[in-house]
Amino acid sequence: MVSEKLVLWFEEVGKDDRELVGRKCANLGEMARIGLRVPPGFALSVEAYKDFMSMTGVVDEIGEYLAKSKPKDLKQCKQASVDIRQIVQSKAMPEKIEKAIVSHYNELSRRCHTDEIAVSTRSAGTVSHPGQYETYLNVVGGPALVDKIKQVWASTFNTRSLVFRSRKKMPLESDPIGIAVQKMVKARAAGVIFTADPNTGDAARMIIEGNWGLGESVVGGESTPDIYILDKKSLKIQEKKLGPKSRYVTFKKGGVIEKKAPPGKSGKFCLSDEEVREIGKLGKVLEKHFGEAQDVEWAVEEDRLLPESIILLQTRAELIAQNKTPIDQIVDLMLDRFSRGVGYDGGKM
Amino acid sequence: MAAVYGVTRFEFDEEKDLENYAVFLADVVHGTPPWRPLFFVESWGRWVYRAVQRAAEQLSLPTTKGWDARYIDGYSYLAVIETSEQEAKKREPVFRKRIRPYIEDFDAIWEQRKTDMMNTYKELKKGYGLKKYGDIKKLSNIELLDLFDDYMQVDRKQWGIHMEMMVPAYYLFGLFEQMCNELLGFGYADPLFAKLMTGFDSMVFRFNKKIWRLGNRAVELGLGELFRTTKDDKVLLSRLEDSEAGRKWLKEYYDFLEVHGWRNERMLDWATPSWIEKPSLGIPLIKVAITSGGTYTIDERRGQAIREREKAEKEVLDRVPAEQRGWFETLMKAAQKAGYWSEDHNYYLDLYCNGIGRWITREIGQRFAEAGVIDDPEDVYFLLADDIEKALVPMGKNKLHHQVNVRKKEWEGYLEVTPRPYYGNIDLAQEILRKDPVISVATSVPIIRKDVKADFYGAASSPGVVEGIARVIVTENKLAELKPGEILVAPGTSAPWTPAFEMIKGVITDGGGALSHAVILAREYGIPAVTGCLEATKKIKTGQRVKVDGNLGVVHILRNNKA
Repeated sequence: MVSEKLVLWFEEVGKDDRELVGRKCANLGEMARIGLRVPPGFALSVEAYKDFMSMTGVVDEIGEYLAKSKPKDLKQCKQASVDIRQIVQSKAMPEKIEKAIVSHYNELSRRCHTDEIAVSTRSAGTVSHPGQYETYLNVVGGPALVDKIKQVWASTFNTRSLVFRSRKKMPLESDPIGIAVQKMVKARAAGVIFTADPNTGDAARMIIEGNWGLGESVVGGESTPDIYILDKKSLKIQEKKLGPKSRYVTFKKGGVIEKKAPPGKSGKFCLSDEEVREIGKLGKVLEKHFGEAQDVEWAVEEDRLLPESIILLQTRAELIAQNKTPIDQIVDLMLDRFSRGVGYDGGKM
Repeated sequence: MAAVYGVTRFEFDEEKDLENYAVFLADVVHGTPPWRPLFFVESWGRWVYRAVQRAAEQLSLPTTKGWDARYIDGYSYLAVIETSEQEAKKREPVFRKRIRPYIEDFDAIWEQRKTDMMNTYKELKKGYGLKKYGDIKKLSNIELLDLFDDYMQVDRKQWGIHMEMMVPAYYLFGLFEQMCNELLGFGYADPLFAKLMTGFDSMVFRFNKKIWRLGNRAVELGLGELFRTTKDDKVLLSRLEDSEAGRKWLKEYYDFLEVHGWRNERMLDWATPSWIEKPSLGIPLIKVAITSGGTYTIDERRGQAIREREKAEKEVLDRVPAEQRGWFETLMKAAQKAGYWSEDHNYYLDLYCNGIGRWITREIGQRFAEAGVIDDPEDVYFLLADDIEKALVPMGKNKLHHQVNVRKKEWEGYLEVTPRPYYGNIDLAQEILRKDPVISVATSVPIIRKDVKADFYGAASSPGVVEGIARVIVTENKLAELKPGEILVAPGTSAPWTPAFEMIKGVITDGGGALSHAVILAREYGIPAVTGCLEATKKIKTGQRVKVDGNLGVVHILRNNKA
């Protein structure tokens, strides 16, 4: 049975393997299977997390620690987070797991025709809690990768997660997750597409947000991106709003860095109309395949030509404002329509 | 660069100011014709812009900190103080919290504020023992000076409340219009939009109803003939003194004025008389009421408007996809209240407060003229607060003819000026108007349209197409020149212009946005309106035949067409 495997290639998994490798990896596998361009890579299974915790004895140590300290409020959770992450990171990676990681990494490098391929490591929970756990970008070399994987696991004990689990009366001692290890895309621009308007739920429009460089500046919401609104049926661009994009994220040795955008770039749209339509096309494919509106991360790879340049980094069911109160939705719309970029059809007010 | 009436606060330094702000837009809606110095420097210039800035802070508006202003050749020019991207991010979460109550219950906040304001006016009068209009004569000079100072603070408060309400009103209204456009493909120019916004009973309409009742009373008392045949309104007032019935009617009229007469001929100015001071000002309206018969037309229309509105609401909601109906309906209701507010507030804020301002400054002017400080009581409006303080106590020792002459000359120069619509980069104006949807209350951006050929391009504000004879009216005191069926061409309109809408077939304005007075009334009365034409009052001549196309937002001058 595959489920005993600690590390699996994306091609080996599909959308039903959420419990096995986490939602993100399962969806990446599904995208690869149906022939969409995703960066090559592999998944660490949820089992690998559990194995690490039990084989190293971390599980018992954490159990003892929690029995003693019983963290409840924010301050106590903060301290517990520091202590527990220390416990996790102090442990050596068991040989069996390390071997599986390194052999897959070497194979990935070989497939990409290089000695040591730069990769990203991202958490993949079985239920989605976006942005909760740490992500490491531009990781190079087997030993560095093994270390970062430990750090992603350790981040399941960050303060936010402890507080969250404590409030939800979930067990504090572990939160098994998968990890996606993916080739880094040399992104000229990156961002997200929502295949339905996330504020209104309008299924006739798709919204693309993009910035120069890596997608982190868009996903993290630090910089105001360019916005493109597409008619879903015709893929016609209904509206383009130039975002100030004052900062962008780019590579540095052993990681990434956020930089001030050069003036020539912040004043220009980061996507061509053809690129916008291609991203829209892919968004439609994903929505149709998964049967519901999707929130997709994409990147435009340097030195490639359309349509090969558009790479999909992940997809998930879109969180639409359905559950928000009408007032919250109105405030969202106000912020969206009055605070970003250039106006709608102009001339009406 | 030049000081304005000797005050440096509004000097325009074209080079430096345009480094800080992309574009300055002329406020042609409020500032036409140019104000005399006392009102501009001590009231409008001092409080209005500050109130917008305060409202932007209180609400933590993400994209704007309000407006900065300059005074160029007699006109106010506004620039939006944009926030940086970082500031916007910081302000956003606070804005989320602070805007909520206005979406949840705009009315409740407004009810509270207007009660507060009416009490403030009452307290101000009570503090000086003033019960009736004439009581101000009993004040000593030093008391009058103190009253003037205290009034200025009341004026500040009034502008504060004004902007506190106006900013959310514009955000709600603007968003609703945009979402109608996005989801259902209709905007201001659609009759459906007009129907959604009409049939609300604001104080301005209730006021007009009281006028109608006074007309009915005159007929009941057998005075109809006298009203109909006496052309001169002042003569009519003195004739009414001659009979028992006339005196009875006058008492009712004066009682009405003691409560509701705190309104100046020009709403935002002290240099025109108030109704309570010059009772003949109300007579033309009462005459219209008498000649048009007993029922109040807008009341009839309102019943129909309410039914049509309810039908329109249902139609619109049916067209909105089910999953979006929740927020859409909430937004629609809030936008309707915002529209209602923009009519209602005039009575409690602008009109009432400036009526009191007129009362006090007029009294100061009269005392100055009697003591030979100035020649004419109305010359007081060429003074500033400092001059008033210098000459009111000790009364008669310090003469102010020189100050009056210098500033009057400056002001008269401004009357000759045709203001430039903007300074700076007009290409950026659309984006700025979006970041600050409120500024459209005062300004307009030239609209260039390639698809239609016309003499004026404006905003399609109230639907319909109509042809008729143009009547250019720049100030309220010329409203009597209007003839039924004409098309009104004005810089902008305010509450005192309301009766005109009973007679006209269409309206064209130089400035003003979707919530401006002219637009709301045009929708209410179902007549076409094109607003924001910038130079319509300058280029259209009374008597010319014009075509107002409220669907497309264009105006044609029909030359050689006497059909």
